[in-house]
Amino acid sequence: MNGNKNAPIFALNNIRKSFADVPVLEDISLSVEQGNVVSIIGPSGSGKSTLLRCGTFLETADGGDILYDGEYAMKDGVYVDKAALRKFRSRFGLVFQNFKLFPHYSVLKNIAEPPMLQGVSREEAEDRAMGLLRKMGLEGREKAYPSQLSGGQQQRVAIARALAMNPEILFFDEPTSALDPELTGEVLKVIRQLADEHMTMVVVTHEMPFAKAVSNRVIFMAGGVIVEQGDPISVFENPQEERTRQFLRVFEH
Amino acid sequence: MSFIAMVLKMSEGLGRTCAIFFLTLLFSLPLGMCIALLRMSKNRVIAGVTRFVISVLRGTPLMLQLLAVTYGPYYLFGFNVSRNKLIPVVIAFAINYAAYFAEIYRGGIESISKGQYEAAEVLGYTRLQTFMRIILPQVMKRIMPSVTNEVVTLVKDTSMAFTVSYQEMFTIGKQIANSQTSFLPFVVAGVFYFVFNAIVDYVMGRIEKRLDYYD
Ligand SMILES: Nc1ncnc2c1ncn2[C@@H]1O[C@H](COP(=O)(O)OP(=O)(O)OP(=O)(O)O)[C@@H](O)[C@H]1O
Ligand SMILES: [Mg+2]
Repeated sequence: MNGNKNAPIFALNNIRKSFADVPVLEDISLSVEQGNVVSIIGPSGSGKSTLLRCGTFLETADGGDILYDGEYAMKDGVYVDKAALRKFRSRFGLVFQNFKLFPHYSVLKNIAEPPMLQGVSREEAEDRAMGLLRKMGLEGREKAYPSQLSGGQQQRVAIARALAMNPEILFFDEPTSALDPELTGEVLKVIRQLADEHMTMVVVTHEMPFAKAVSNRVIFMAGGVIVEQGDPISVFENPQEERTRQFLRVFEH
Repeated sequence: MSFIAMVLKMSEGLGRTCAIFFLTLLFSLPLGMCIALLRMSKNRVIAGVTRFVISVLRGTPLMLQLLAVTYGPYYLFGFNVSRNKLIPVVIAFAINYAAYFAEIYRGGIESISKGQYEAAEVLGYTRLQTFMRIILPQVMKRIMPSVTNEVVTLVKDTSMAFTVSYQEMFTIGKQIANSQTSFLPFVVAGVFYFVFNAIVDYVMGRIEKRLDYYD
């Protein structure tokens, strides 16, 4: 990589995004260092998903910079060409709220096919997939189809699918919000385990105790802006902004 | 004419009936996909024109389309009506059925959630890979019942070829019925179609079952 050794794995500078003239992200800047876990919290509609979608090119930002490893994917609102953008995609993984597994593929094929399309041999891709399934606590389920699994199992397959591409950074958009409460634990446990292995991650979540326990940094967003960010202790126990205090009060019981 | 002779005579036309049936499927199934993709084009003009063409093909009788394709070239350009009527008959059938298949495909493609495209995109699938590997197999499974309906209708519609006097089974039966003033050939034709469709039902059922390996 010709990226700067000291550059953050992922950075956004002054990102703007509007939907039909309604601003949804205004001047968002953040950076994620190697091995760090950054949590993004905030009320519904504050732009958290849009932020991840801009960072992963699912949404086209209107202005600003997007950098991976110090390399520009977008500079001043101008994206690199399609071929270059495709290369950037191999650097990150994205885990969706509702899994988005391929229903017509077995669990094994869901995980092994994407790397195979990038030129990894079947043998290696399937070996890697089996190893990831073991790690996700899903040994023996490789032949199952997604509809035969619980939501928590499906989400763990989705995490394995993202990891199989060997991403430098993993984005999660509310990975447990679509799950029954008794299933959130098994998914959070897996993410926590990845954090222990120093996987670089950005997690949008409403699970405050989890965010507090796992994150190196917490970002609080509201109304399309970053209201406050800092280490979890200061954001959760000593928030500086009234808007943050107001939001966190809802979660205190 | 004995009953046996009649059945044998009509059977001779069965080969032509099958030719219309299989050739129509062979051309209309892929052609329908092309039309569906044009219909869903982001280019408004292409989508609009395709939409109009589909509505004409579905909104006018197949019988008229058969006449237009078979005799149209003669009236318009003075071409001789081709001696082998199978060609214009199959062209008319294939275009007509492609319009119906196009709408079935479109419904199927539009029923696949945006999330499948997004998941594939993030995982580095090209647009072609996404369509061929992720979208199309799911579409096929969803549209099988509607496709089966069309195929069953096609078996019966082959009889329309009598409008251009193409000597398939029903046309022969109709000629016998006229010359013998007998209703029996129509009964025989009915039995032929029924048996044909029983086979179609069985085959399509097998295909549907094969696609039923996931929910
Ligand atoms: N494709 C779109 N078209 C128009 N408006 C959109 C679109 N996507 C998001 N929005 C709007 O942008 C705002 C931010 O949405 P976003 O989904 O990013 O919020 P969020 O913080 O992820 O909320 P939640 O916690 O409910 O997931 C909302 O007002 C939403 O209605
Ligand atoms: Mg969201």
